[in-house]
Amino acid sequence: MGAREGGPPQGRLVVGVDIGNSTTEACLAAVAPDGSISYLATDLTRTTGVKGTPDNTAGALAAIRGALARAGLGAADVDAVLLNEATPVISGLAMETITETIITESTMIGHNPATPGGEGLGVGTTVAMAELPGQPPGTPVVCVVPAGADFDDVAAAVNAAVAAGVDVVAAVLAGDDAVLVTNRLHRPIPVVDEVAAVERVPLGMLAAVEVAPPGRTIRTLSNSYGLATVFGLDPAQTRQVSPVARALTGNRSAVVVRTPSGDVTDRRIPVGELVLRGAGKTLRVDVDAGAEAIMDTVARVQPLDDADGEPGTHVGGMLAQVRDTMADVMDVAGQPAVPVAEIAIRDVLAVDTFVPAEVRGGLAGEVALENAVALAAMVRTSRSRMQLVADRVSEQLGAAARIGGVEGEMAVGGALTTPGVDRPVAVLDLGGGSTDAALLTRDGECTAVHVAGAGELVTKLVDSELALDDREVAEEVKRFPLAKVESFFHLRHEDGTVQFVDQPLPPHVFARVVVLTPEGPAPVPTRHGLDHVRRVRREAKRRVFVVNALRALRQVAPGGNLRALDFVVLLGGSALDFEIPDLVADALAPYGVVCGTGNVLGTEGPRTAVAAGLVRAHAARPVECPTG
Amino acid sequence: MSTPTATAPDRTVSLREVGPARRGTRPDEVVIALSPAFAGHFTKTIVDVPHAEVLRQLMAGIEEQGVTARLVRVLETADLAAIAHTAARMSGSGISVGILSRGTTMIHQKDLPRLSNLELFPQSPLLDAPVFRMIGSNAAQYAKGEHPQPVPTRNDQMARPRWQAKAALLHLKEFDCIEPGRGPVEVEAVFGPGTAG
Amino acid sequence: MTSTRPRQSLRTEILESRPVNLDGFVEEWPEKGLVAMESDFDPAPSIRVQDGRVVELDGTERADFDFMDTFIADHAIDVASAEASVAIPSAEIARMLIDPGVSRGDVLAVSRGLTPAKILDVVKLMNVVEIMQGMQKMRARRTPANQGHSTSARDNPIQVAADAAEGALRGFAELETTLGVVRYAPLVAIALQVGGQVGRGGVLTQCALEEATELELGMRGITAYAETISIYGTESVFIDGDDTPWSKSFLAAAYASRGIKMRFTSGTGSEVQMGNAEGKSMLYLEIRCILMAKGAGVQGLQNGSISCIGVPGAVPGGLRAVAAENLVASMVDLECASGNDQSFSHSAMRRTARAMPQMLPGTDFVCSGYSSVPNADNMFAGSNFDTDDFDDWNTIQRDFQVDGGLRHVREDEILAARNKAARALQAVFAHLDLPSITDDEVEAATYANSSNDYPLRDVLADLKAAQSVMDREVTGLDLVKALESAGFHDVAENLLTVLRQRVSGDLLQTSAVLTADFTPLSAINDPNDYAGPGTGYRLSGERWEQLKKLRHVTSASNPETEVG
Repeated sequence: MGAREGGPPQGRLVVGVDIGNSTTEACLAAVAPDGSISYLATDLTRTTGVKGTPDNTAGALAAIRGALARAGLGAADVDAVLLNEATPVISGLAMETITETIITESTMIGHNPATPGGEGLGVGTTVAMAELPGQPPGTPVVCVVPAGADFDDVAAAVNAAVAAGVDVVAAVLAGDDAVLVTNRLHRPIPVVDEVAAVERVPLGMLAAVEVAPPGRTIRTLSNSYGLATVFGLDPAQTRQVSPVARALTGNRSAVVVRTPSGDVTDRRIPVGELVLRGAGKTLRVDVDAGAEAIMDTVARVQPLDDADGEPGTHVGGMLAQVRDTMADVMDVAGQPAVPVAEIAIRDVLAVDTFVPAEVRGGLAGEVALENAVALAAMVRTSRSRMQLVADRVSEQLGAAARIGGVEGEMAVGGALTTPGVDRPVAVLDLGGGSTDAALLTRDGECTAVHVAGAGELVTKLVDSELALDDREVAEEVKRFPLAKVESFFHLRHEDGTVQFVDQPLPPHVFARVVVLTPEGPAPVPTRHGLDHVRRVRREAKRRVFVVNALRALRQVAPGGNLRALDFVVLLGGSALDFEIPDLVADALAPYGVVCGTGNVLGTEGPRTAVAAGLVRAHAARPVECPTG
Repeated sequence: MSTPTATAPDRTVSLREVGPARRGTRPDEVVIALSPAFAGHFTKTIVDVPHAEVLRQLMAGIEEQGVTARLVRVLETADLAAIAHTAARMSGSGISVGILSRGTTMIHQKDLPRLSNLELFPQSPLLDAPVFRMIGSNAAQYAKGEHPQPVPTRNDQMARPRWQAKAALLHLKEFDCIEPGRGPVEVEAVFGPGTAG
Repeated sequence: MTSTRPRQSLRTEILESRPVNLDGFVEEWPEKGLVAMESDFDPAPSIRVQDGRVVELDGTERADFDFMDTFIADHAIDVASAEASVAIPSAEIARMLIDPGVSRGDVLAVSRGLTPAKILDVVKLMNVVEIMQGMQKMRARRTPANQGHSTSARDNPIQVAADAAEGALRGFAELETTLGVVRYAPLVAIALQVGGQVGRGGVLTQCALEEATELELGMRGITAYAETISIYGTESVFIDGDDTPWSKSFLAAAYASRGIKMRFTSGTGSEVQMGNAEGKSMLYLEIRCILMAKGAGVQGLQNGSISCIGVPGAVPGGLRAVAAENLVASMVDLECASGNDQSFSHSAMRRTARAMPQMLPGTDFVCSGYSSVPNADNMFAGSNFDTDDFDDWNTIQRDFQVDGGLRHVREDEILAARNKAARALQAVFAHLDLPSITDDEVEAATYANSSNDYPLRDVLADLKAAQSVMDREVTGLDLVKALESAGFHDVAENLLTVLRQRVSGDLLQTSAVLTADFTPLSAINDPNDYAGPGTGYRLSGERWEQLKKLRHVTSASNPETEVG
C-alpha cells in the first residue's frame, strides 16, 4: 500500500506494532473522527532481542519507520504508536535416543552393501583366506577376506582352492569388491562385501551367507525358521535367534554366524524421568516410555504448572536452560533478579522420532533406526516489560507510544479483517518456537493459549530423521518442495510432473534429490529417494503442527469441543508454508470447521494480524485520555 | 571403503589400439578417456601411482557397479575438460571419466558445457588407488541414474611447494605428445604380469 | 624394494629427512617457458615510433601485435622518450638503478620509455644484491609497510575481528580477508573493517571475492581497497579467463570512480603453469603484466609470483627472478605489494631466505599477505609466514635493524584490543539486527589462537543475515552509526575518517596508506628519497625503540628481570 493520492490522509495517524518471537510487524493507518480506518502501509522486520524485552525497541522503531517511509510520511505526523502486550516466550528443544541395538559376538552382518556379488545361500565354516589351501576337501567353508586384499588375488585364491577340491560356498570381504570377485570366479558363490571390521568375524564357526538377486530381498536368513533350518536349532534356540531374523528383514544380503551366545538385542536406554506438576498433582513419567506416555501424563496435569527433567540428561539440561534464559531475559539492572524457581515450564510437547545410529558391535557399520523422543518446552512469564519498550519508542520517535492491547485478542481482531470471516473465530498462530491459539466468542470474550513446539521442532525432526546433520539443509527441506533432477534439462517434481528447463541445470544437482529453493535447486545430501524425504518432511509437520493445532484449539474451544468452533484462521510465518495449512485444514475438516490461511486486511496474507488488530481496537475507542 | 592394496604388485598395462573410437549405444557403459601420454610416454602419475593401477582401479570401480568400461585415447588435445567431454559425447550413458598422465581426473557428462563437469579432482598429488576406485564407482553410479555422494576431495597447503612445478612440467610434456588432427582411438588394456598366485 | 637399494650413509639418511627435500625442484625447459629469466627464446629489445605511435615492439611489427603488445605499446610506453631510452645500453640503465648518485626520478625518466624486452635485458644484468640495492631506491613510498591476511577456517566473523585488531596493533597497514563459504562475505568483511579500526585507526581492509561482489563491497564502504584483480602475460591465458587488458582497465576505472584504492595482481609462473607461456621466460611475461598494469593506470601491483610461487621456486635462479619482478614494478613507478604470501617451502630456512630480497631493502608491502592467523585458518591456502612466526620476524627486524612493518606488542595490549574488537562487533551485529554474538564468544575471541578455540556459530542464521546485509544495502556509514550508538565513539570516528578518504581521493595516489593519525602516506608526500648511505628511510628514533622490544629481553640495569 502506498500513500493515498490527494493530499495528507484524513484523521489521526496511528501505528500498530506487533512484536512477535521472530518478526516485528507495523501497520500504519489513519483513523477518522468517526472511527473509520484507512490503512496506509505495513512493514516487517526481524525482532531484535527476546520478545517482550527492552531490546525490542530497535526492531519496533525499524518497522515503524519502514511503514512511514512506504507511506511517504514522517514520525512527526504520528499521533500514537500502539504496542501489543507481549510476554516473553522462550522455547527449547531436546532429543533423547531411547533405544540401542547391540550385536554380540559378531553374530550378524546386515549392513546391506549396495553391490553384493553372486546369489543364493552358502552355509559353511568360516576360514581366513590365507588358510584356504590347507582345508580338507568336501567340507563347506566360508572364505573371510582381510582388508587390503586385491580382487584379482582373492579370485585367484578361491579358484585355486576350488580347483584343489576345497568346497568354498561363500565369501565375506572387507573391500567393495564383491562383484569384481564373483565375476572372476569359475564357480559362482554368494559374496557379501564392505565388512569394514572383517577381522572380528569369528573363525571356525558355522556361518550362512545369503545374497538375493537384484531387486529382491533375502528369504532364508530373515526368517526365524529359515535360520533354524540352516543351523539345526531347537525351538528354544529359534526363539533366541528371532531378533537376528527380524534385524535382517528387507536386506538384499546378510551373513549370520552361529556363535555360543551371539545375539542381537534392542536395549532401552534409561534417560531419566520427567516430573510434571499441575492440577494439584505431581506425576512422573520415564522419558524412554515414549511420546504417547509423556503426552498422556501431560494431559492429566493440565493446566501444567511446571516441569523438571533429570539433571544430566538432554531433556533435563534443556528445561534448566530454558529457565535460565528466561531469568536472564527478565533481569533488569537495578531491580532484584527473578528467582529461577519462579519461572515455570508451562507446556511440553513430546514427539516420537527415530535417529539412524550405528549399531554397537556391528562389523560393517550397520545402521539401525533407533527410537528417540524429541521434546519441546515453553516458558512464559507474566512480567511483561513492554511499558519500557513503549517509553523508549516514544522517546526515540517523538510520538506517544502505549500498550494498545493483549496479543491474542489483537490477533483475533486482525484476523477478522480477513474477507469471509466472522465471530466466533479462532486463530492459530503457527510460529517458530510455539503454536498459539486464541478464540473470540460471539459476545466478544477472548481466551488465548500458547503450546510448545512449532517450526523449529519440525526442522530438528527432519534433520535427525534424514541424518542430515545440517540445519540449513533441514530448514530448506522443510520450507520448499522436492524434485528429482533426471537430466540437465528436466526434473520430476514430487507430485510426479515433469518440468523441462531451457538453461541446463548446474552439475552439482545432477541425478540428485533437490529442494526447489527460490535461488534454484539445492541438493539434499542423502542416500534416500525423494519419496522417503517427502514422507519424513510431511510426517514431521503433521506430528508437530497438526498435533499442536488440535491441542491448542481444544484448550480454547468451548468445553474443549472442536465442533463448537466455526472459523479458524491460520496466521504466522508457518501459515505461509506450502503444505502446513492444508495438513491442518484436513485435520480440522471432520469437525465441520472452516479453516484457512488468513488474509489480513484482504491484502497481507497471514501477516500483520496483531498490528492491524491494534489499530482496530484503537479506532473502536473513540476518545481516550493518555494514561500517566 | 576398502583400501586396495598399497603394495600393489608391479602390474603393467599396455594399450592396444583397435581402431577409431565410435559413439556407444549401450546405456550401461562409462567411457574412460586417456590423455595422449597416459600409459605410453608416461607410466605413472605425479606421485608414482602406476598407470596400470590407476586404470585397473577405475575399471574395477565401474565393474563393481555392474557397468561396463570402454577405453578411448584422445590424441589431439591434452586439455582435461576437452578430453573428458569428447569421451562423454561418445559414451552410451553420456558419462565419462577423463584422466591426464599426471593423475588429474574429471567425471563429465555429455549435456554439460565443455568447461563444466560433474566431479573434478584437480589435486593430482592427492589421488591414490582408493580414490581412483571411488571415481570409477561414482561415474558408474551416475551412468545408472543414481546419486552417489561426491568423492571427498582433499586439500594440502604444502602441495604447492612440492608439486606445483612438477605438475607444470608434466603438463608441458603431455602437450608435446599431442598428435594434431588425429581423432580419438578405441584402445584395449592388456594387463601384464604381477598378479600373485 | 629396500633390499635391492644400495646401502646409504647415515648422513645421507639425515639429509634425506630434512624438510627442504620435501620441496619440488625441476630442470629448466626454456623452449616451453619453464625457465626463470635467462632464455634464448625471449625477444630482443627494439622499438620504432612513427607519428607518435609505436609501430615495432621488441621485434614485432604492429600488424603482428597480439593484444598485450597493442595495449602496452598504446598505453604503457612513453612514445616521446621510447626510442632514446631503448637506445641507452642496458648496462648503463642497470647501473643507474644501483647508483646512489642517480635519483629515483632520473630512473623513471628512462624507464617510462622502455619495452618489456629492454627491461628484461636490464634486470638480467643484475645479481640479487644489485636487485635489492635497486629496490631500496626504487620503492615508491619512503616508509616500508606490511600487509596481513585475516581469515577463518570457519569464516567466523568474531575471529576475523579479533585477529584483525591484533594484526593492526602489530603493525599491518593493510588487512585482507577471503572466505571458505563465499556467502559469509558481508559479515566477515564487516568484521575485518570493525576489528581493524579497533586495533589501529586508519588500517585499510579488503575482501578478496569474485570481481562483482568485491566491487560492490568496496562501493558500499564495507571494504577500503581491492587487490585480487588478476592479469596475465599472454593473450591466450587472458582469453581463457574471459578477459582482456581493456576489461581489467574498465574494472580499475570503476574503483577509481569511487575513490577506492586498488591494485592488480600478477606473478611469474602463472602462464607456464597453465601451459600457455608461448615459449617465453617467466620474467619476460611478468614484465608484460607489469607494463599492462602501468598502462591501465592503476597505482600498484601485487606481484612476486603469488600463487604460482612453487614454479619459480623449483627452477634455477627462480627467486632471483621473483626479486627482479618486484623491482620492475617499483622501477616503473607502481606500488609493489611484494608477495611472500603463499605457502612456499617445507624448510624454515628457505622460507626466511625467500623473503630477504624484499624485507632487507624494504618494499611498499613486504608481504602481500603475512598470515595474521594460524596457517590452518588461512583461506588464501596458507602464507609464507603465519602467527607462529611473529616473534622470529620481530627478532630479524631487530637483528638487522630493518623495518618489516611489524612490532612486538605486549600481551595485555593485545588482549585488550581483541576483547574490544569482539565487543565492538557484538554491538554492530546487535545494532544491525544480525545474529547475536554472545559474551562467551567475546571471551573466546580475547584469548583464542585459531578458529577451533571459538564456540560454533549458527551458520544458517549467519548466512541469512549475510544476505540481509546485501539486501538491506548496509553501507560503511551504517557501521559508523552502529559503533557510535553503542558507545564505540573512537572506533566510529576511525572508520568514518577512513571512509572520508574516498572523497578526497588521497588513497588513489601511488603506494598510499594511512598512518595512525590518518595522514595519507604515499609517493606524493612520502616519496622515496634514497640517495646513498645515510639517506632515505632509516630505522631510528621512536620506531627503532619499538622494534628493539621483544618478548624476552634481559634488562641491562637489572639482569634479574626482563624489559618489556
